[in-house]
Amino acid sequence: MSGPWVGAPLPVKEDVRLVAGRGRFIDDLGLPGMLHAAVLRSPHAHARIRSIDARPALAYPGVTAVITGADAARLSGPIRPLIPTTAAVPDYCLAVDVVRYVGEPVAAVAAMDRATAEDALELIRVEYEALPAVVDPYEAMRPGAPLLYPELGTNVVWHDTLSYGDVDAAMARADGVLRERFVIQRYASTPLETFGAMAAYDPGTDGFEFWTNDQRPGLTISILAASLGVPQSRLRLSCPDIGGAFGNKRRPAYLLICALLSRGAGRPVKWIEDRVENLTALMHACNGVMDVELAYRDDGTLLALGVRDVADEGKNLLTPTQHNLIKLGNIANGYRIPAIRYEAWSVLTNKCPSGANRGIGKPFMCFAVERSMAILARRLGLDPAELRLRNYVTAAEMPYTTPPGAQYDSGDYPATLHTALERFDYAGWRAEQSRARQEGRLLGIGIATSVEPAGTNLASYELVTGRRSVSGSAEAAMVRMEPDGNVRVAIGDPASGQGYETVIAQIVADELGLVPEAVSVARGFDSSVSPWLYLSGNYSNKFSVTDVGAIVGAARLVADKLRRLAGHRLEIAPADLDLRDGAVVVRGAPDRRVAFAELCRTAYADVLGLPPGEAPGLEAHHAYQNPLAAPVDADRRVRSQLVFSNAAHCCLVEVHPRTGVVTVLKYVVVHDCGRELNPLIVEGMVHGSTVHGIGAALLEEFRYDEQGQLLTATFLDYLKPTATDVPEIEVDRLEHPSPFTALGAKGVGEGGAIPGPAAVANAVEDALSAFGVTVRELPITPERVWRWIVRDQKS
Amino acid sequence: MIEPAERMAIRLTVNGREIAREVTARRSLADFLRDDLMLTGTHVGCEHGVCGACTVLVDGRSARSCLLFAVQLDGATVTTIEGLTPPTGLSPLQQAFCDRHAMQCGFCTPGMIVVSTELLEKNPAPTAGEIREALAGQFCMCTGYVNIVKAVEQAAATARGARGEAS
Repeated sequence: MSGPWVGAPLPVKEDVRLVAGRGRFIDDLGLPGMLHAAVLRSPHAHARIRSIDARPALAYPGVTAVITGADAARLSGPIRPLIPTTAAVPDYCLAVDVVRYVGEPVAAVAAMDRATAEDALELIRVEYEALPAVVDPYEAMRPGAPLLYPELGTNVVWHDTLSYGDVDAAMARADGVLRERFVIQRYASTPLETFGAMAAYDPGTDGFEFWTNDQRPGLTISILAASLGVPQSRLRLSCPDIGGAFGNKRRPAYLLICALLSRGAGRPVKWIEDRVENLTALMHACNGVMDVELAYRDDGTLLALGVRDVADEGKNLLTPTQHNLIKLGNIANGYRIPAIRYEAWSVLTNKCPSGANRGIGKPFMCFAVERSMAILARRLGLDPAELRLRNYVTAAEMPYTTPPGAQYDSGDYPATLHTALERFDYAGWRAEQSRARQEGRLLGIGIATSVEPAGTNLASYELVTGRRSVSGSAEAAMVRMEPDGNVRVAIGDPASGQGYETVIAQIVADELGLVPEAVSVARGFDSSVSPWLYLSGNYSNKFSVTDVGAIVGAARLVADKLRRLAGHRLEIAPADLDLRDGAVVVRGAPDRRVAFAELCRTAYADVLGLPPGEAPGLEAHHAYQNPLAAPVDADRRVRSQLVFSNAAHCCLVEVHPRTGVVTVLKYVVVHDCGRELNPLIVEGMVHGSTVHGIGAALLEEFRYDEQGQLLTATFLDYLKPTATDVPEIEVDRLEHPSPFTALGAKGVGEGGAIPGPAAVANAVEDALSAFGVTVRELPITPERVWRWIVRDQKS
Repeated sequence: MIEPAERMAIRLTVNGREIAREVTARRSLADFLRDDLMLTGTHVGCEHGVCGACTVLVDGRSARSCLLFAVQLDGATVTTIEGLTPPTGLSPLQQAFCDRHAMQCGFCTPGMIVVSTELLEKNPAPTAGEIREALAGQFCMCTGYVNIVKAVEQAAATARGARGEAS
């Protein structure tokens, strides 16, 4: 085989070790003398800690160290928030004085093994004074509601209205306005590997080493150093293989707990989250309520969209407003909507902290818009596909800027939908649906289409905080041709299943005229080896739109140097040289060449042979920021995300009329993520993200009772889709490269999770059309469906 | 009454090797495999018997190693992903998982291989539906199961081809 390698469905290098159980995950690591930590957690949603007596735990045989919230406040600083809202109250790695959700860490033990540490937890005596809990975000917003932080005077972290165009005038002149309320539940991607960390304090240097499956190490290092009062230069953090992340794997508190225990015990400390801890206390996507007003003309033309969006953050002080603000990226979805108003509330409640989860907020935004389109189509007597086609931004309009400032870079949204309808056999299934209805079978067809933003521009948070603190989308890469001519690459973004070692090798192989086998990409991350920025990490779908720019940039620096060295040797201008098959070749005279091995010898060993002024070595670092990122403008418009993929989902469901069980019979995805760097990897992500969307639609829910107790804290109660719950996801693709990324690629990791819930909900509502059901909430459980049917039959 | 931390002697066969060890009564088979025998290819995903990541073969049948105590395995034969991997290269089933990119993060994969091995021994020509049924106790959060099902189908077809059967 020969290149170009980018675009080829090459087998995934990582798979060879993973399929044999030879991955190296956080719980596979250990150090001599290592202790194991366990965390004592609050049984209350809201309570004052009257007293903690940890002495019996410390006296327990095998226990080396115990820390409580008071220790944490004495030994470490507060955890610095990513988004410094007005709710920047001090938040430590363990609860100090007050607990604010069930599962909040209260104390931690380090012992000879995990079982001993868990035994010792039971000996810690905590006296709580229960406080009234606030669980519902609307309750939390009411005057007189119990406050998580009385010093803030409110549970509302942010409330603002962002207006783009004259929404009121558009509503006034519209033929009609659709008004609906939609509700989304709490759910999460629940990576199969739970969170974990290992910390080792070195008293000789007063420094720390960390190992963790944290997916955003650049930011985490900054937080750790600030909280521990240690210069970042004395702190090293590494990530091994990561067993899935999806946004959930970032909770610096646990790294701090391990660090404090390690410093206290003088030994390394490891903590591995168990599944109940994971479901109870790691990270949930916000639940929320959205009121939508959609103004239209009778021909289906959309005129304006008004959204009131309440995001229930739980006790989220690290990234509040994230679920609100990111919706500005896809609030218009793929449609031409001239005027948009977005009113947002970010509200604290006594529940698990919310945080990033595959698509952050965008699945709910897409759900609200795509549910509204389905309802509007019915109201207007239009086919739901036709209504969408009348409103899409077209390929000729690209790049198109939505009223809030999102710039759609490329794509042909009508073509995406047309292709999906053909692949699905939309007309055929509509006919079959009618036939089935005669037999009393409830088949439904759902369409949902979406834009998939990629690359968050963190400058958008200026809309919340009033000042710019972090901004842009950036990543760093290092490419080094080793003395033997093989190439090593490292970036600041640790993979968690995206096949970076394969796709980066493809990219670099093309840039350097090598085969991918000659390119080794560092596993994971190591802050003392990998190049990195504060903005580094595995988040916001940014690999294709940002990381690739860093990788290509670094590879081209090495390529340029190879050309200069060879040009010196051959006495030919570097511009007349190509890199091909492991050698620098004179263009038009392929027999005149210098092998890389030769040039490596000069660069590393025979350095007197270097051209005058040329430094030894063949190594380059390049940090790249996506040029689309810009500050918030005077009209409060911002490119909150930078590059936009798109997709159309068509699904067929059957609803059992007596049990309410929904079965997904067929599911077609047609998507366009620009140039596909490795179609094998891309297709896998489309499958997985779509099933995540189906899970959110039908199964998954973190359900709390009125006291704030989580009722779904195991995989017996929190239901995930299994192989028998989902059909084969059929995938087809269009490929409209982005003009604004290094190789024309766009985001794909979040893809199916965004329109998936809407597609399934639209299909269920379609199946239940005879019952006058409107699907306004998720998940669509059998109980809910059964109640809808029964209620209709009673009324 | 046995105390949780009481140490007990066990003998068992793991991946063809006879093992004699003392373990605490409460040590799970998963922890025993991972921490005492350093067989870290068996992964722990939920510790309550639902996710299937920790599945191993006990006397040829799939079992959740997080729900078994090591002391229950006295006299048993245990096979883990390490035992299903040839000394060099990959098994045809593993190769099929690579060909089809039937994994992403790879955390569920050892359990998937174990259960698929058991399925193909019982049923050399499973339908896609039978494969899905067999895998229904194994969570994968990354792949949506599509390529896993295809990989097992491919491995079954390859095995039939090798035996000269019509596929």
